[in-house]
Amino acid sequence: MKFLPSLFVTTSLLVAAPSFAHDEEALKTAPPGEPYVQVSDALPLPEFIPGLGTLFVDPQTLPAGPFLAYDHDGKLSATVYMTPLEDLQNGTAYDGLGIGSHTVSGVDIYYNAGHPGVEKPHAHVVLYHDADAKGRLAE
Amino acid sequence: MMTTRRQIFALGGGLGAALLLPRALSAASVEVIEMRGTARGERIWYAPTGLAIEPGTTVRFVNRDQGNSHTATAYHPINFDRLRRIPAAAEPWDTGFLLPGESAEVTFKAPGVYDYYCIPHEMAAMVGRIVVGHPDDPGWEGPAPATDDVSVEVLAALPSVEDILAHGRIERG
Repeated sequence: MKFLPSLFVTTSLLVAAPSFAHDEEALKTAPPGEPYVQVSDALPLPEFIPGLGTLFVDPQTLPAGPFLAYDHDGKLSATVYMTPLEDLQNGTAYDGLGIGSHTVSGVDIYYNAGHPGVEKPHAHVVLYHDADAKGRLAE
Repeated sequence: MMTTRRQIFALGGGLGAALLLPRALSAASVEVIEMRGTARGERIWYAPTGLAIEPGTTVRFVNRDQGNSHTATAYHPINFDRLRRIPAAAEPWDTGFLLPGESAEVTFKAPGVYDYYCIPHEMAAMVGRIVVGHPDDPGWEGPAPATDDVSVEVLAALPSVEDILAHGRIERG
């Protein structure tokens, strides 16, 4: 989109060099710290998005993510990926993506028409990290 | 639910681009266009997508989508250098991003056809059309022609002026 500053543009100057951390302990509770930024701080989106919770992302990893999804108590509940369908169709592959926790209890994949930050129609791939996570992120 | 009256614009009159109106004055002729979406964001739309109003009517855009933000932005060069799709006599507007529960009001004065879009959702063809007055009104300006500035999907999503005038409002939820 030619006129909407992307999250990458608006925040990449504010964060340190990216280095995805697989230190699960550091990511278990919000905020996860650098290089992650809270999505609602950088974009006009609700702080808590029903179904996704409070999202943090390393801007360098956009659009795919991982987006770390926290519940109302700040517990890491899901890792979310957002993959534009047009990019996939044109041959883009999103390989080797990070993950917030290596414990995954379930996965949801569904279509999203777009939102600030990832305007292209895309798929949400949601990895839940415990059996109750989906319910905690619902609203 | 929080309601934010972010902006009130008077369009097409001699009063300039922005004119704050007392709430009581505008309450008599206010139409509501809701910004809606499914819970997971598979579909997003304006409700109604097409609306017929009389000159001087205020339209309140309200975001009823709990998981997304939306704008109502006129196609006009002043808004991100887009080609004009509102009457030449009208002032352009942009509500800015409205979070869930927020709203903004726009007053339409110049007769004609107004096309607008949602900034983050134009790719998903979230667009709307407002018809102000009637084709025989002095100064009426009909719909803008198709151009490369808007996609085929956007043009297809805009209700026809004839349908809007015939039915008053077109819902495409």
